Amino acid sequence: MSYLKRSPWVIHYDASSCNGCDIEVLACLTPVYDLERFGIINTGNPKHADIFLVTGSVNEQNKEVIQNIYNQMPEPKVVLALGICATSGGVFRECYNVSGGVDKIIPVDVYVPGCAVRPEAIIDGVIRGLKILEEKHKKFQAISGGKGELTIAQAGIQDAGDILELQKLAYQSEAELYNDFSLSPLTQTLEQLEDDFKNKFFLKSVMHDKIIGSVRAFMEGDTCHIGRLIVHPSYQNYGLGRKLMREIEAYFPQAGRFEVFTGHKSRRNIYFHQRLGYKIFKRERVSELRDRVFMEKFANKDRK
Amino acid sequence: MNIFLNILLYVVLAPLAGGLLSGLDRKITARMQSRIGPPILQPFFDVLKLIQKESLVVRRSQNFYIGFFLILVIFTGALFFTGKDILLVIFAFTLAGIFFVLAGFKASSPYSFIGAQRELLQMMAYEPIIILSAVAMYMVTRSFYISDIVSFSRPLIYYLPGVLFGLLYILAMKFRKSPFDLSTSHHAHQELVKGITTEFSGRSLAMIEVAHWYENMLVLGFIYLFFARSPLAGVVLSLLAYFLVILIDNTFARVKWQLALLSSWLMTLIFGFGNILILFILPK
Repeated sequence: MSYLKRSPWVIHYDASSCNGCDIEVLACLTPVYDLERFGIINTGNPKHADIFLVTGSVNEQNKEVIQNIYNQMPEPKVVLALGICATSGGVFRECYNVSGGVDKIIPVDVYVPGCAVRPEAIIDGVIRGLKILEEKHKKFQAISGGKGELTIAQAGIQDAGDILELQKLAYQSEAELYNDFSLSPLTQTLEQLEDDFKNKFFLKSVMHDKIIGSVRAFMEGDTCHIGRLIVHPSYQNYGLGRKLMREIEAYFPQAGRFEVFTGHKSRRNIYFHQRLGYKIFKRERVSELRDRVFMEKFANKDRK
Repeated sequence: MNIFLNILLYVVLAPLAGGLLSGLDRKITARMQSRIGPPILQPFFDVLKLIQKESLVVRRSQNFYIGFFLILVIFTGALFFTGKDILLVIFAFTLAGIFFVLAGFKASSPYSFIGAQRELLQMMAYEPIIILSAVAMYMVTRSFYISDIVSFSRPLIYYLPGVLFGLLYILAMKFRKSPFDLSTSHHAHQELVKGITTEFSGRSLAMIEVAHWYENMLVLGFIYLFFARSPLAGVVLSLLAYFLVILIDNTFARVKWQLALLSSWLMTLIFGFGNILILFILPK
């Protein structure tokens, strides 16, 4: 049983526009509507929050703020776009400084239109958001607990098509980061990938008969080169990547050293590998836009 | 074996009672603001939910300090409720508080820094009267052992009304309530985000919450000591003290730290020290 439904804590951010929806959100906390009846608290701290309420349209100045608040919230989390401005940009959508609705920046789960949005509608939206929160929690548990539904196994050449599709999806964020859509994972063809199966070892993670993650590796001398760790965007942040890395390292017990590389701007990737015990040892220029950062880990160190 | 049974009972019952009191507090607060308020069991739902959430950290070691905070609070309570030395209780309690402050500093964000600094200031404000109350209890009962203090022939309130008043004054600090909820707060004061607890989420926040329940029971136990001669009156009056804190919480705004520090030291000096002085001068 989950207690997420019984105690949803919210954080509220007013992006821009007229503040009408902003005031209605606060009205929900007053004695008339009393959101705390449902255990809802306005925390004002993203790290304590489960539900992110955004009012107003997104403009150039607060894009990063919204992104930042979203990233700081622990999983599972839900985003509500309150009011027509947050939903689509509303009457401000054509302004030169307005990017549009909140879903331009972060994934939105519930849209609550209205100008200004009524407190009753906000409460209804939050209650709907709770159901989504519950579903996300189940997904989170299935992956982090690895209960039945998730399997990690060796992939064969028949999986090449699915893996290629996933690879192109998963590398979108990297391409946006460097503004370079000619990255090799994005331009790889099916033939090339099928070629890879001859000399590389592939792992896939499958959930409900669908491949949601993969990683590949090959030996060169004493070193095991691990590459192309990909996880479906809607299954990221559930610890799946870490599982795949551990699994593939275990498949190469003879390796004395593991090596990975990533782009210099991919801070999340670097941090992710550091958490797994990798250290940066080399940096190489690939193109005008991108440096490659090489990271290594010695096997004997963590075998205890 | 009896002592182990007592400790076990305390470890299990104290958080249950603390959580229920905290739920009652939220209900009473809501009624005072003419709201309906959450169910009484809400604090338990909150903690159970926090356990299910992802735990984000700035530094992994911050959770280590929180672990120590919880363990030391439980240890302090175990000493207290099995009737051990009150000085040891006070020092262990302070140490627990120090670990909490260290955790806040370890998380290294400006908000948790300010929260941790304010927590330290609060400790400076409330420690003198707590130590003075141990001294005063010794002067009356000639023992630092809580078991002796409890079984003293007359209620301590006859001798130490001033000390009790001083303790009541700093009570809001220990319960993290207005006007002294400087370091962190359950309410929507957001200028410090959440103060010392800003950087804690998931399981570690749940641990802070549970430690706070233990703390609350311990503080109420302290008040109980003053009426220990008749247990029923003791329980009722310490609950009344809790109600008083809630009432004050809903009546006053948060004060600046300067005022909090100065006023609690003044109260300690006038009522706490004054009480002891009178005891010293008056013949037995």
